[in-house]
Amino acid sequence: MTSIAEKAGAGTATWVDDRLGSSNFVKRSLNKVFPDHWSFMLGEIALYSFIVLLLTGTYLTLFFEGSSREVLYNGSYAPLKGIPMSAAYASTLHISFDVRGGLIMRQIHHWAALLFLASIVVHLMRVFFTGAFRKPRELNWIIGVLLLILGLLEGFAGYSLPDDLLSGTGLRIAYSIALSIPVIGTWAAFLVFGGEYPGGAIIERLYPIHILLVPGIILGLITFHMMLIWYQKHTQFAGPGRTETNVVGSRIYPAYAAKAGGFFFLVFGVMTALGGLAQINPIWLYGPYDPSQVSAGSQPDWYIGFLDGSTRLMPNWEISALGHTFSPNVLLPTQVLPGILFALMLFYPFLEAKFTKDKAYHNLLDRPRDKPVRTGLGAMSIAFYVILMIAGGNDIIARIFALSINEITYTLRVALFIVPPLVYVATKRICYSLQRADDELLHHGIESGTIRRLPSGEFVEEVVPLPSQYAVLLATTPERKELLAHQAQEHGHAISSKQRGFFRPRGGVLETPAPSEDKQLEGTVD
Amino acid sequence: MSDSIRDRLSSPGGHGEQNGGGDSSKSDITTSDFVQTDSRSSHGAAQTIAHAPTAEGPNALGGVGASGMSERGAELAVSSLFLLSLVGVIGFIVCYIAVPFDYGKANYEWYTPALGVFMTLALVGVGAGAVLWAKTLMVDEETVQERHPLASTDESKAETVAILKEGFDNTGLPRRKVLGLTMALGAGSLAILPIPLVFSLAKFQHKERTLSKTSWKAGSKLLDELGRPVKLGDLEVGGVKSVFPDVPGGRRAADSAALLIRMKPEDLKVKDSRKDWVQDGHIVYSVICTHLGCPVKLYEQQTHHLFCPCHQSTFDAANGAVPLFGPAARSLPQLAISVDADGYFVAQGDFTEPVGPSFWERKPSYSDKVGKA
Repeated sequence: MTSIAEKAGAGTATWVDDRLGSSNFVKRSLNKVFPDHWSFMLGEIALYSFIVLLLTGTYLTLFFEGSSREVLYNGSYAPLKGIPMSAAYASTLHISFDVRGGLIMRQIHHWAALLFLASIVVHLMRVFFTGAFRKPRELNWIIGVLLLILGLLEGFAGYSLPDDLLSGTGLRIAYSIALSIPVIGTWAAFLVFGGEYPGGAIIERLYPIHILLVPGIILGLITFHMMLIWYQKHTQFAGPGRTETNVVGSRIYPAYAAKAGGFFFLVFGVMTALGGLAQINPIWLYGPYDPSQVSAGSQPDWYIGFLDGSTRLMPNWEISALGHTFSPNVLLPTQVLPGILFALMLFYPFLEAKFTKDKAYHNLLDRPRDKPVRTGLGAMSIAFYVILMIAGGNDIIARIFALSINEITYTLRVALFIVPPLVYVATKRICYSLQRADDELLHHGIESGTIRRLPSGEFVEEVVPLPSQYAVLLATTPERKELLAHQAQEHGHAISSKQRGFFRPRGGVLETPAPSEDKQLEGTVD
Repeated sequence: MSDSIRDRLSSPGGHGEQNGGGDSSKSDITTSDFVQTDSRSSHGAAQTIAHAPTAEGPNALGGVGASGMSERGAELAVSSLFLLSLVGVIGFIVCYIAVPFDYGKANYEWYTPALGVFMTLALVGVGAGAVLWAKTLMVDEETVQERHPLASTDESKAETVAILKEGFDNTGLPRRKVLGLTMALGAGSLAILPIPLVFSLAKFQHKERTLSKTSWKAGSKLLDELGRPVKLGDLEVGGVKSVFPDVPGGRRAADSAALLIRMKPEDLKVKDSRKDWVQDGHIVYSVICTHLGCPVKLYEQQTHHLFCPCHQSTFDAANGAVPLFGPAARSLPQLAISVDADGYFVAQGDFTEPVGPSFWERKPSYSDKVGKA
């Protein structure tokens, strides 16, 4: 049995190899080394969410009708029977009430979309704060930001498709935002919507954009993103034996691949649990879109929230002159602001390299505390973003906490300009303090908790030198590396300066034979 | 399991050619005994970094692996997780068929959660099983791989430039300037080709005229949401009613929805030019927000404020619906109404200015004269 399978496998492999010479490639790939760190899984979550989106989305297309043609609903959901609505809304009801397994697929799809964007954002923060975007990985950073922007568009297009009251309101806002563009605004809005709102074509147009155009581009960019990771090799945190010129980690086959493959199913499982147990976007409760209706507390999906917030905070500036109307009250928060934010994000690697005059290759990741300015800027940006998010829910906050919505809005307007700089300063200070704590550890070691009484009667706490495998984690600056090398000379704790080869045989040349007392720490290395 | 790794690594196949990228995955992996001196060599003798026991190792059976779980226990746990998937799949199929599904049937609301629970089990079983297997039973050695330099050598770069230059020269372009120019013109003009097609996306409409017009006409009755004409006296003081023009499709027209508000006539401040736009404390405003077009229908009786739930613009209904708060910059347009012979409200004409959000072609000033067309 086994031998037959083996023979068949070998036969197939030989057949393929004879034609493609695949063995070399496969061998090289299976032996590829990936560094391990929990934060490297964040990008994986984004990738897996996208696969879940493709799977569930493909299923949904089999039932969804992307059409604004008016129909009278005649499905199972009794409260809406006989109500005129678009075919898009009716087919979404059909998926939710008349297709077995349709609702769970729809809900998994929606949850996966939220998690896709959430994991992209968190992954982006990891890359930012650890400096993984630096040379040679600026291109992959740009691809990542483009993926985020496309993800936002894709998400917005997706939740607009059901043509329910909530999404229709969102589309009308999108149309109005397009109208506000100076000079070409009305043209842009009319061309996209097929005429004056509602235009009668937007659902028909969003559908191919949502299921073909944008996902196709996203898929292509993800492929390119992965190829660059593969080719440039993953970054790693500083650690024993890790240098700028090597990768220390697990080979992809078999354990790493098993973990990554298993993780896909775990991510899928979590989304399924959410889709099965946590209701999301119950469009039958909102009702079909009606331009004269809106429900209070209309919030978009979370990733649009910051733009909703900026729109709410904006003062009502509008200029009417020379026969034209110009609307900064719409243009600034909905187009200029995201334009600036995403442009800054796209060019950040180049801006940082310019200001720090850093042209070197970087394969070792930074600890955020070691780059206080960057960490401060990142924290500042998060603060700015969070305030906008809060502003996007100002009506909800006002209701829950029984506060005046006007006061919340005024407060947030001020906070938007005051809080981020404060966060910047505070973060920088925290970084410097953490650096000092690290220096303390390196110079003086760990407080052992053992109190000793000196013959003179004085009590002192004994300090144990930091074990070298921990010390090396902290050796992130040239000064500290020098200090460690100095300590190593004194105490014989050498940091291996160079790692050779893929494996080293037992008895390979060691720079410095290590003292045996460190043996006891082996078990705790990982 | 580790046998296979050892075989693979020490077999001739393991001696593959050095790949171009520079993975130094060759000679060193042929050593018979896989122990590695990596970084930790700095503080310990050469040691194996394998995180899991090898099958022929001292703890091959019943031994304790890196995770503290015995191999037997780990195998059992992984197998159970894989079987959990089977249970999940069976449960999923059973629920798919057996749980009541049709809307309104008893317990139909359990259909989706039941599918969700079993599908989750099916997925998590395989996923957790694979991860646990990898963590407890697979040999996972920490390995060092050299990075290959990304930049090409200077010679390689120079060679590439030379090839490019040679090829360019061979095209004859440097000598035949006309070819280059005409190619740029011809091929470049292709970029313009799709532009006309963009304009097929919408029929041409005069923007300002289109956006200035709604379905309201002189004499249009004010219909409520159910299509009944609204009469003087239908509304109490302090009451509001959504009204729509009495034309085909008026109920669904995106720009025509309006709100009839009744307040005490003495509370209502009206400009002199609009004195005859209101009737006995009844006033009608467009509900399309002048900010981003959401329906502004939340009316606060005491303050006469109209509130937009989308971005919280607030308008003073008692005073020409001027914006009091929020991002909206302009008043809600007012519809001039009168009462016909039978006591029904009718519009005197269309709005005198475009309803809804601002746009570039919107003229700064509009007159208060109602066109009776």
